[in-house]
Amino acid sequence: MGEYWYIRPGLEESVNGFFSAQPEADMALESQIPEKDFNQAGKGSAEVKNLLKRLGVNPGILRRVAVAAYEAEINVAAHSLGGTMMCRIYDEFIHIIFKDMGPGIADIEQAMTPGYSTADEMVRELGFGAGLGLPNIKKNSDALHIHSERGNPTLLEFLIYFMSDE
Amino acid sequence: MSKQEKEYFHALHILEDNCTGCTSCVRVCPTEAIRVRDRKAKIDSLRCVDCGNCIEACAFHAIIPRSDTLDVIHNFKYKVAIISTSYFGQFTEDVSYEVAKQALYELGFDDVQEEAMVTQFQVEMIRDYIRANRDKRPILSSNCPTVVRLIQLKYPSLLSNLFQLEAPMSILTRYLRESIKQEKGLEENEIGIFLIVPCVAHVTAVHQPEGAYKHLQDGAFSIGMIYGKVREYIKHLKNNPPKIETFPKGLMWALSGVQADLVDCEDIRALSVNGVDNVMEILSRVEDHYLDQYDFIVLRSCTNGCVGGCLNVENPFVAMSRIKKMIKEGKDKKIDVHDLIELYHAGEFDVAPLSSRPVLELDKDIKKAIVKMKKLNEILTNLPGLNCCACGSPSCYALAEDIVQGKATIEDCIVLLRRHSREEEESKQEEIKSAQDKV
Repeated sequence: MGEYWYIRPGLEESVNGFFSAQPEADMALESQIPEKDFNQAGKGSAEVKNLLKRLGVNPGILRRVAVAAYEAEINVAAHSLGGTMMCRIYDEFIHIIFKDMGPGIADIEQAMTPGYSTADEMVRELGFGAGLGLPNIKKNSDALHIHSERGNPTLLEFLIYFMSDE
Repeated sequence: MSKQEKEYFHALHILEDNCTGCTSCVRVCPTEAIRVRDRKAKIDSLRCVDCGNCIEACAFHAIIPRSDTLDVIHNFKYKVAIISTSYFGQFTEDVSYEVAKQALYELGFDDVQEEAMVTQFQVEMIRDYIRANRDKRPILSSNCPTVVRLIQLKYPSLLSNLFQLEAPMSILTRYLRESIKQEKGLEENEIGIFLIVPCVAHVTAVHQPEGAYKHLQDGAFSIGMIYGKVREYIKHLKNNPPKIETFPKGLMWALSGVQADLVDCEDIRALSVNGVDNVMEILSRVEDHYLDQYDFIVLRSCTNGCVGGCLNVENPFVAMSRIKKMIKEGKDKKIDVHDLIELYHAGEFDVAPLSSRPVLELDKDIKKAIVKMKKLNEILTNLPGLNCCACGSPSCYALAEDIVQGKATIEDCIVLLRRHSREEEESKQEEIKSAQDKV
C-alpha cells in the first residue's frame, strides 16, 4: 500500500482544508495520455500553460506548473498503460490530477529519489527516464499526493498556488 | 496611460484601397495581431512583433513595409551606412564582394561599414556573458528584434534569459559615432548613421529600440528598396573593381546555424533555431526547463537567419549558399578591437532590462479572467470549429476571445449565420406545410 504526501511548510491548513472540502472548480480541462505515445504526451501540459497565460498567472508560477505538469504527463506516458490528466482551476491555485491504468509504483519512496528510474530501453532512447520526474514535480508544487500500489492504477495530484513566494 | 498602452511604431502599414479583406494575413500572423473588420485588415500594434509574415502573405500589395527615404541622409554632414551581413548574399556570383560594397558609396554615403566587421567581437562578448551568468540557462540571443518582442509578448518568464547587450550593428554605431566625432571633429548631430537591413523588424528597432540607453541610428533602409539603384552602380563598377576592405569571415552573422557553431566551444553548447514557428516551439520548451542543457540558443525569426528577411531579394537558401562560399573562400583577418573592448568595459553596449507586454491575458484580475475564460469556452462550443477565418479572426478560438473582449459578436460567424437562416427557413416551411395540412 503506497501513499505519499508532501505539503510545502506553511500551507498545511489551506491544503488540508481543500482536500477535505474538495470544492467545485471554477474551470476544468481534461486530456487523455496514451501509453508510450511521446508525440501526444506534452500536449495536455502545453494546453494548460496557454490557458494560464490567458488568465494572467505570474510567469514564474506558470513555469512551475508547466514543468510539474509536463513531468507528470511524461511519467504516465512512459511508465503506465495510459491515463488521463485533469486540470481544475480555482482563482487561487491549480489542482492537477493524473490517473493511469496501472501497473502501479512498487516503492514510492524509492521513486522519489533523484536518479532512480525503472524506465525501459525504448523510453530511455527517446531521452526520457533520467529518474528526475517525481522529484522535479515535488520541487515545483506546493502540495503533492501520490496513491499507488503494485498491480493497480496510480493517482498523482498536485496543487500550485498562483500567489506563492515569488 | 501606462507605457505599455502607448501606440507602438511598426515598420509596416496597410493600404486600405488595396486590401480585399481576404484574411491571408490573418492566418499567418504568429501573435494573432490581425483582424479583418468591415472587409479591411487591421493590425493591433500592441501585438505585432514585426515578423513580416503578413507582407509575404498579401497577394494584393496591401501590406507595405515602411522604411526611410534615401534623401534623409542629406540632413547630415557626414553620412555613414552600416550594412547587414545578409546584403552580400543578394547578388549573382559574378558580382564581387568589393563591387557590392563599393556600390553603396555611390548611393551618397561618405562611409560604408559592415556588420561583419564586429561579429567576431560579438561572439567573444556572448561567450563572456554566458560564462559570467552561469545561473541563467540557456542564454537566448537578442539580435533578432522579432524574437525579443515575441518573448516580451508570449514568454515573459524568459526575459531574464536574453543576452543583455547590444547587437553588432548597434555596437558598431556606438563605436563609429565616437571615433568619427574625434577623427573628423564633427558634432554628434552632424553625423548620420544608417542601417541597411533585411527585414521589417530591424527598421522598427531603429525607430523604437528596446532597452537602448544611447543614441543609436538615424534611420534604416531596406535591402529591397536600394537594390534597384545598387544594381545600376554595380553595372558600372564591374569593369573596374575597387580595392576596398572586406570582412568575409564575419558574414556568418546572416546565418543562424553558422553563428551557433561559432559560439559553440569546449565549455559552451549552442543551439540554432530559425523560422518563427520553430522559435515559438523552442521558447515554449525553454519555458518548461527542457533545454537547460544548452548554454546559448541562437533564435532567428526568418528562415536560415537574416538571409530569410522579407526585405531581401534573393531566396534564403540561395543567399545562404553564396554567403557560405564567401566565408569559405575569404581570408582570416586580424581586426583591431582595442577600441571596442574599451567601450565594452565602459558600459557603452549595455541595454536596460526589458519589460513584458502582457497582451494575452483576458483580464488583469484573475477572478475576472476566469469568468471570461468560462464564457469564452461556452462560446467556443457553439462555434463550428472550422477555423475558416471568414469572420475576420484567425480561428474560432480567437473569435470567441474577441467576443468576450467586446471586439466582435457571435453574428460575425458566417457559418452559424447560414445555419441559423437555413433552420429558420426550414421551420418556416414546416409551419406553412402544417397550416396547409390543416386547411
